[in-house]
Amino acid sequence: MAAAIVAARAPPGGGAATVIASFNNRALSCAASAAGRRYHHHGGACCFAAKPTQVAAEVDQDVAPADANAAATEAKPKRKARSRRGRKGKKSSESEASTTAAVEEEEKEKEEGVEEEGGKRKEGLDLEEVMAVSPVGLGRRSRQIFDEVWRKFSRLGQMSSASSTAMAEEEQAVLIRGGPMCEFTVPGAQDTTVLVVGATSRIGRIVVRKLMLRGYNVKALVRRNDAEVIDMLPRSVDIVVGDVGDDSTVKSAVSGCSKIIYCATARSTITGDLNRVDNQGVRNVSKAFQVFLLPQLTILPASNSLIESSFTELCITLQDYYNELAQLRAGKSSKSKLLIAKFKSPKSVKGWEVGQGSYLPNTFAYRFDEGIDASFEFNEDGQAVFSGFVFTRGGYVEISKRLSLPLGSTLDRYDGLLFSVGGNGRSYVVILETGPLADTSQSKKYFARMTTKVGFCRVRVPFSAFRPVNPQDPPLDPFLVHTLTIRFEPKRQRPGDGSQGATDPRNFELIMEYIKALPTGQETDFILISCSGSGIEPNRREQVLKAKKAGEDALRRSGLGYTIVRPGPLQEEPGGQRALIFDQGNRISQGISCADVADICVKALHDSTARNKSFDVCYEYVAEQGNELYELVAHLPDKANNYLTPALSVLEKNT
Amino acid sequence: MASSSAASLAALPSQLTTSPARRSLLLSSTSRARPRPHHPLLHASSPKGGSYCRLVVTCNAGTVVPTSIAQGTPVRPTSILVVGATGTLGRQVVRRALDEGYDVRCLVRPRPAPADFLRDWGATVVNADLSKPETIPATLVGIHTVIDCATGRPEEPIRTVDWEGKVALIQCAKAMGIQKYVFYSIHNCDKHPEVPLMEIKHCTEKFIQDAGLDYIIIRLCGFMQGLIGQYAVPILEEKSVWGTDAPTRIAYMDTQDVARLTFIAMRNEKASKKLLTFAGPRAWTTQEVITLCERLAGQDANVTTVPVAVLRFTRQLTRFFQWTNDVADRLAFSEVLSSDTIFSVPMNDTYQFLGVDSKDILTLEKYLQDYFTNILKKLKDLKAQSKQTDIFF
Repeated sequence: MAAAIVAARAPPGGGAATVIASFNNRALSCAASAAGRRYHHHGGACCFAAKPTQVAAEVDQDVAPADANAAATEAKPKRKARSRRGRKGKKSSESEASTTAAVEEEEKEKEEGVEEEGGKRKEGLDLEEVMAVSPVGLGRRSRQIFDEVWRKFSRLGQMSSASSTAMAEEEQAVLIRGGPMCEFTVPGAQDTTVLVVGATSRIGRIVVRKLMLRGYNVKALVRRNDAEVIDMLPRSVDIVVGDVGDDSTVKSAVSGCSKIIYCATARSTITGDLNRVDNQGVRNVSKAFQVFLLPQLTILPASNSLIESSFTELCITLQDYYNELAQLRAGKSSKSKLLIAKFKSPKSVKGWEVGQGSYLPNTFAYRFDEGIDASFEFNEDGQAVFSGFVFTRGGYVEISKRLSLPLGSTLDRYDGLLFSVGGNGRSYVVILETGPLADTSQSKKYFARMTTKVGFCRVRVPFSAFRPVNPQDPPLDPFLVHTLTIRFEPKRQRPGDGSQGATDPRNFELIMEYIKALPTGQETDFILISCSGSGIEPNRREQVLKAKKAGEDALRRSGLGYTIVRPGPLQEEPGGQRALIFDQGNRISQGISCADVADICVKALHDSTARNKSFDVCYEYVAEQGNELYELVAHLPDKANNYLTPALSVLEKNT
Repeated sequence: MASSSAASLAALPSQLTTSPARRSLLLSSTSRARPRPHHPLLHASSPKGGSYCRLVVTCNAGTVVPTSIAQGTPVRPTSILVVGATGTLGRQVVRRALDEGYDVRCLVRPRPAPADFLRDWGATVVNADLSKPETIPATLVGIHTVIDCATGRPEEPIRTVDWEGKVALIQCAKAMGIQKYVFYSIHNCDKHPEVPLMEIKHCTEKFIQDAGLDYIIIRLCGFMQGLIGQYAVPILEEKSVWGTDAPTRIAYMDTQDVARLTFIAMRNEKASKKLLTFAGPRAWTTQEVITLCERLAGQDANVTTVPVAVLRFTRQLTRFFQWTNDVADRLAFSEVLSSDTIFSVPMNDTYQFLGVDSKDILTLEKYLQDYFTNILKKLKDLKAQSKQTDIFF
């Protein structure tokens, strides 16, 4: 700072000369004061010099008031000045003040800049008056200059490795939390609030720390609020006391959050416990999260119209909300919905074939054959209506169409189907057929249930909801879908509800408006730590897995973007040491460290390949050859590489 | 920090006593290659031990070691204590450790404004002062590994923390059965006994080696982070940059890399009881660093070059008087600077030993480039902001 002051007061060349000259006079007297400080604890030197610093900074700014750039660069010296002043009277050495100042500097630079400038000016004015009348002020300032020069001079005689602690303050703003040079920083982390459910668990603790290091806002749901728990968590974590089994606390926990990491697990293997935490808990949290996210939809004008029809269809609106977001994030073209069929003209029903059939073997069918009738036509009101009745036991009717997608688009970039339909509120089965077009014998069928409401509504059927008709078939690959079928069957209809209650459940009417494919969301919303099943005591294994499975299913069906991580047996050891294997299917044999699982969670938050995936993860099996069973996508987690994306991109979605 | 220089000896607990002789001995220990003296170092546990610095240290607590290990619950290998956690290197070590899933405890000196950022990251903070040995033992309970990144501040007497404090800490660690001790030293510290800090680091190395602990000693050359305050900030603020014309080259290294390599070494069984040296990818002179900064900042630096001779002269001058000895110590590196030493080592073997890819180590060019890109962007933002606030002026 001294140099700057000198430069401001004198022509540049002269300034330098002054500095050099003054140093020579100064050497001894400063040495004296340095030594003196040692023995007498005398803080005088620093607080003595503090006031002039302030003035000096002020003067500096006066010299170049118009130059905004100069003002900006001065933010730093001024801050130093203030903290030094704040510490006066305390018996501390000068650079201690500056280290504590460094801590203060942690606050965001912007805020500080504004605050400081305001406060400083007031102080500065007072001091300037004082200085004007007192010649002591001049002495103080010269002393300050000397100190600065001496500091710089003596720094030359040191090695930065040995003495850089004194300079820590300078780098603080840059390297610490949220600063640009921090290797842990995640862009946008400050705007993301993550709820960690089970923050005191083995994984949860590390997850919380990792999130804090990366600058996220963290909320923690814990059951007890005692000192032991508080000590375990970083202090700026927002702690919510509650239980996942309890709806009201869950609601308050999820409010304000944009992501959830669920690492809670039952403490015991008692069925009640398992059910409460691993199954019902996941259900509660995912539901509460949807309910919380819903009101946000109204903010987006585009999605307003979607809400009016059916308020309770959370999933749909949510999905639409994400679609909106996705469109906003990544330009319209690739991320908008894909129209599969629109029923606006008589022409549009062409290509749809009406068929009928029976689940029961033909031999019995005739005895109960009371008749099937169905039609799909475009009526006078301008609506495409699929209607009829099925009185035959075990019979069904369906309309199906071979899909013809626009050139260049395939369904694998989409997340599910959106049906805009009206009618009398029956439930239908949507069937997707995959396989080679030429050979229908090889095609595989996948089904999902679609429940409509009385009146118009939009129903979203995620691809993850489709199950193979033949259980041996692999999960649905949307890329291969060629035929779409909507089937009505009298089975499993809800018994009459409301005004329509009287009607026979074997009648149906379905007014089709459009069918669209929903684009994939960008990121995952809900990360669930499940378990792979190995390492649990065998006699309780069944129950544990059952509860976990139920929880996973609840999450999958919720419509939230999900990531389900099933780690092998957890080990308490530092992470990042061994290669990891990501796999689908129960082939996990090794353990994994808690820290690695936590790392996967944190990485998955912003990884689009992690959305809607379930996978097992464990250490690489190193013992012997012959592990070709695994897809060996093993990566050693490291600073430079993002191991998660390549590992996950080969895994299948919606399993 | 409360730098009470005296009173550390008087406050030593009964188990840990050190001879008052060492203070004066250290000062006279500038001549090299002395024979090892025969004073027992830790006579309870290492009878053969001797110290380079002719220390007489008694440590009765050594007898406690076997019992405490046998009876207590085993400490978790993930529990570590970082000494000097608020420092440049210390905080990066803490971050790295937390990120790798360690439970980190930080030993910091009690101070009016506590180091909140450590707690925010999820570390536990315990208050203790190395210069007050009675505060140390409590902090080591349940700790598996101690990572020692502490160094006294330049303005406080060099021996308080760096020697007396460290001796107490190491004895404590030994007595309480700490299973690994990581110590950061300075490269070439054995070659420059005339520099007090390096001499002390070298003595501490010897002391650790003789103490019978499982240790890793890591010698460092220089931190890139130090350059920011010394060169980058003054250049940006258009203030004068002070440099020397010394031909010394230093291989600066990013502290984040140091922290990363440290943990890799810590987990490597082969690294135990080893002395490793970490250096950056390239050694730089002061002038080269300034030129690089100028290029990246897009503006010329106002360089004030101080000849090394002036520094040396000042040091000689200040050494004449007892009360300016501290100043002399601070200028001591001028001795190193005046020789055209290169503070660097070839790192290939180390990389190979640790299994690290040399491409992952940050270079100074990249580091400074990142810094300037970010800071210039930030300044632009601030500029826009200060325009708004000008109304109130």
